[in-house]
Amino acid sequence: MRLIFKYLKRYKLLFCLNVLSVFGFALVELGIPTIVSDMIDKGVVNQDKTYLIRMGGLIVLISVIGVAGTILLGYCCARISTNVAHDIRQDVFRKVQTLSHSEMNEIGVASLITRTNNDAFQIMMFMNVILRTAVLTPVMISVSFILIMMTSLKLSMIILATVPLIIIGVVIVGKISSPISERQQGSLDSINRIFRENLTGIRVIRSFNNDSYESERFDNENVNFMVQSKRLFKLMSSTEPIFFLLMNVAVIGIYLVASFMIDDGALPVGKLVAFMDYMFHAMFSVLLFCLVFMMYPRANVSAKRIMRVLNTEPGIQNHPKEGAEEKEKSVVFDNVTFVYPDGEEAVLQNVSFEAHAGQTVAFIGSTGSGKSTLIKLIPRFYDVTSGKVLVNGVDVREMDMYALRDKIGYVSQKANLFSGTIADNIRFGKKEATDDEVIHAAKVAQAYDFIMEKPNGFEEKIAEGAGNVSGGQKQRLSIARALVRKPEIYIYDDSFSALDFRTDARLRGELKKEMTDEIVLIVAQRVSTIMDADQIIVLNEGKIAGKGTHRELLENCKIYYEIAASQLSEEELAYE
Amino acid sequence: MNRKVSWKVCIKGVLAFAKPYRTKFFVAFFMVILSTAIYTMNPTVEGMVTTQLADDAAKIMEGIPGAHVDFQRVFLILTLLITCFIVRALALLISAFFLTNAIQHMMHDIRGALQKKIQKLPVRFFDDHAFGDVLSCVTNDVDTLSNALQQTLTKVITGVLTFILVIIMMFRINWIMTLLALVIIPLTALITKLFVGRSQKLFDRQQTTVGELNGTITELYGGFNEIIVYNKQEDTIQKFEDVNRRMRDSAFQAQFVSSLISPCVSFITYVTIGASAVVGCILVIQGTIKIGDLQAFIRYIWQINDPLSQVSQLSAQVQSAFAALGRIFTMLNEEEEDQGGEKHVAKDRMKGTVTFDHVQFGYGKDLLMKDVNMDVKSGQMVAIVGPTGAGKSTLMNLLLRFYDVKGGSIKVDGVDIRDMPREELRSMFSLVLQDTWLFKGSIYENIRYGRLDARKDEVIGAAKMANVHHFIRTLSHGYDSLINEEANNISQGEKQLLTIARAILKDPQILILDEATSSVDTRLEKMLQEAMQRVMEGRTSFVIAHRLSTIRDADLILVLKDGDIVEQGTHEELLEKKGMYEKLYHSQFAGQNFDEMD
Repeated sequence: MRLIFKYLKRYKLLFCLNVLSVFGFALVELGIPTIVSDMIDKGVVNQDKTYLIRMGGLIVLISVIGVAGTILLGYCCARISTNVAHDIRQDVFRKVQTLSHSEMNEIGVASLITRTNNDAFQIMMFMNVILRTAVLTPVMISVSFILIMMTSLKLSMIILATVPLIIIGVVIVGKISSPISERQQGSLDSINRIFRENLTGIRVIRSFNNDSYESERFDNENVNFMVQSKRLFKLMSSTEPIFFLLMNVAVIGIYLVASFMIDDGALPVGKLVAFMDYMFHAMFSVLLFCLVFMMYPRANVSAKRIMRVLNTEPGIQNHPKEGAEEKEKSVVFDNVTFVYPDGEEAVLQNVSFEAHAGQTVAFIGSTGSGKSTLIKLIPRFYDVTSGKVLVNGVDVREMDMYALRDKIGYVSQKANLFSGTIADNIRFGKKEATDDEVIHAAKVAQAYDFIMEKPNGFEEKIAEGAGNVSGGQKQRLSIARALVRKPEIYIYDDSFSALDFRTDARLRGELKKEMTDEIVLIVAQRVSTIMDADQIIVLNEGKIAGKGTHRELLENCKIYYEIAASQLSEEELAYE
Repeated sequence: MNRKVSWKVCIKGVLAFAKPYRTKFFVAFFMVILSTAIYTMNPTVEGMVTTQLADDAAKIMEGIPGAHVDFQRVFLILTLLITCFIVRALALLISAFFLTNAIQHMMHDIRGALQKKIQKLPVRFFDDHAFGDVLSCVTNDVDTLSNALQQTLTKVITGVLTFILVIIMMFRINWIMTLLALVIIPLTALITKLFVGRSQKLFDRQQTTVGELNGTITELYGGFNEIIVYNKQEDTIQKFEDVNRRMRDSAFQAQFVSSLISPCVSFITYVTIGASAVVGCILVIQGTIKIGDLQAFIRYIWQINDPLSQVSQLSAQVQSAFAALGRIFTMLNEEEEDQGGEKHVAKDRMKGTVTFDHVQFGYGKDLLMKDVNMDVKSGQMVAIVGPTGAGKSTLMNLLLRFYDVKGGSIKVDGVDIRDMPREELRSMFSLVLQDTWLFKGSIYENIRYGRLDARKDEVIGAAKMANVHHFIRTLSHGYDSLINEEANNISQGEKQLLTIARAILKDPQILILDEATSSVDTRLEKMLQEAMQRVMEGRTSFVIAHRLSTIRDADLILVLKDGDIVEQGTHEELLEKKGMYEKLYHSQFAGQNFDEMD
């Protein structure tokens, strides 16, 4: 609710208009019964036809006002709710742009997507109901109660007696339905999950002949979901008849009391008719109000999920220190230790090395040795737990984060491309790159040939999810993207893995020609990819197990030798 | 879902799912009808009270001696009225309970049927259908249907019924006034037609924009790494803002236009009420109708207004429900893969020999494989190498009958795999893919998945064999540690090891490793292969690998290019041949003659 108010504040004027327009609606819905009752009491009794016709005209007049009010109401509702949804989406999106990897992983990309889109949509739907109903109901109820009381104080007492009952009822329903609704939502998530697992694992499931096991797993959740839904729907659909019955009992009471009053001559019949009509409308608005309560739990869950994102503090912040002077090109790790925010054990322990202008430094090691983590510390995807990472002699935490990242061309393990043309994707690295620069980068990255084979060449559109380029092509495009940037530091995080050996070799040959005084950092699985590096760093369980050239390491690092031996033939090992 | 099924099929299908619960439905519908009938009678009965009171009041006013409210009659009518109320409430409650039970069971059945369907569809189906679409069928479409049935069905029935009954009741009161009031209907129809068509288009556009927004967000969140490191936050926000703004505008238009219907319909109702009141009052003065009837009449107009002003909302719901139905039954009517032939191979005679006999295959019209032949003996380790797109994985897909050959045949233990029951064929294999598939659950459950009746020591044995036991022990909950939904709490390499353990546990005749160790470092890969060789003693295995170094010991190496086998033999034989394999093998080392390799 707080979330909604926060955003509603931005649209005060529209909201006032919204409230105002509700009165137009109330005027007609309640005005008509009043006029009709007058017609009966005055027109019929006095047999005054001109009066009747005049009143008929009045009905048309207030109808126009009422309809104008309702249209205005519709306009305000639509404007406010769509604007609020837009603002929420925008804020969430902006927030996400400031988050660092640890927060991203904590919430999860899939969840962030639903939070930005679906949850905001839920809020919009809820806003719509609130602006229409929640504003309308109090107005309708209070106006009709005033009218009711004006008609007959005595009769209105009967209605007043039912009001607390209904309010209590609404609160109870809200209280009961909220946890059921949350459970139902959770169960739906599980159904979703299992079904997605079924889809993604289709070959594995079939090869294990585990169809019935999957059906069983699915059915457990399916039954659970059914039970929750049944509860929820039964609760929801029984509230209406019960509330109606309560109101109806009041109606009977009113007729009873009214007949005594008429017997005494204390109440004109026309008034009774009007009274019943007000009653009818008041009842209707109370029922509409129930809808708000029914939608509230779901909207509340969404609001909580959105708040969670908005309230997340980015773990990595930009606090550049004035006066930190950059020296010549270098990347230095000074006794770096790193523990993942939710981890227990250190992924990196006391890692130190230096890379200078023009050097290529490679990292190799077993799965889980921390090599990918290590290079993620340079563009500040994460901050070190202790020790220092220095770029050009300045601690990265004291540099302007954007200036730091401008120095880096990073090619990740899993290359992501964006929808747009191939040229757009390469220009992602440098917006103002000329056509020649783009083509050159593509050539160096061994991407030129396959790009030219596409029907539209560089103007070929990359589909959403980049389904129309293969894994290897994606990697080459993302390398071209880094090249066009002409950064000071290149980081290749296992980015040759999807290339066959031939392309890999040719690409490395071309890259070597391109480099002058840049620093190149490579993480790789293949010894062949890194053999020529100026320095190879062997990592094992987060610690440096060896440092040196290929030849030096073959001689004095057992782990490196084992890795090399598993990949190279004996002649090749001996040849070295 | 490109192919649409006809309405007839949909209706038939729904009825089939409804059949087991027909008693419940009948009771529910009967109760709905009952409650609607009572609902439409209420104003008349209330009118009777008013008339009675008005008559008595008039008599009192006229000062007729002894005139008073005829309490006996009033009580009688009120008793009738309260009976109506109670019966109606009960009828509504009963119908709600029966309907909810019936519908939710039905939805459960439909979801279950969809899940089972998925398992019977050929793998080919998923090549041309995005997971998102299929998934949304089970969740969104079934949900839409459930909501439609749960709310809209009753509303439509009561709406139509109220409409008819109300008109009958109105005619009973006074036909002139009724005819006057019925002007509402054509006018409302006109307005609705005018707006619904337009708003439907706007809603469609909104839906498309939602999809676009979702796509944009998915892409931009997915490319988080790149955006950060290339400092593209501002550009990205611009890109998002563009779609976001369009989303806002289309949502606004759709909402606003659809919100116009209700006031317009109401306006007609208001005016009609005004006119009826004037005419009615005159008729009362003339003595043609009673005052209670006038009250009832006006109440009836309000009652008609209710379903009428909901027409737009309901029609949208009904439309989307039908669209959902269409998708559900298109899916349920998709052709299933056949369950294979009847030729059994006795368990003890399963050896694991595999023969490809002039196999032809292509995913589309063009043939990828023109003539593939191979003969694998029991217990051999076969390595398949070749550039990306050469058809290495396709070969294995054919072997497991995820796809059927277009020519020639594949035989396992001398039997054409198309003549074998699918289940039996697949029971002979263990498949380990590069894309590791694990489900949310404990590590223990995930390994046990290979053979559901495995004992705990067997599970641990398999884990040890796959070199993953030690890693599991370092986790805080050991074998009970949960793998989360995204399975991102363990590394890719560890995941691959778990899937290998799972495959080992199955203890198959034939093992297929499709790039199964690509994320495991080579040292570990080597150890694994040695372990596997122990496991696979006397069993056939197929290994697809990028790293040629790890397959040197294979009994047979197949070199694939553009779908066909261009070379086969052992490592030494192939090196001697100085063909493609030799070049591939040596290109691992930088700078060496890769230029002449075409």
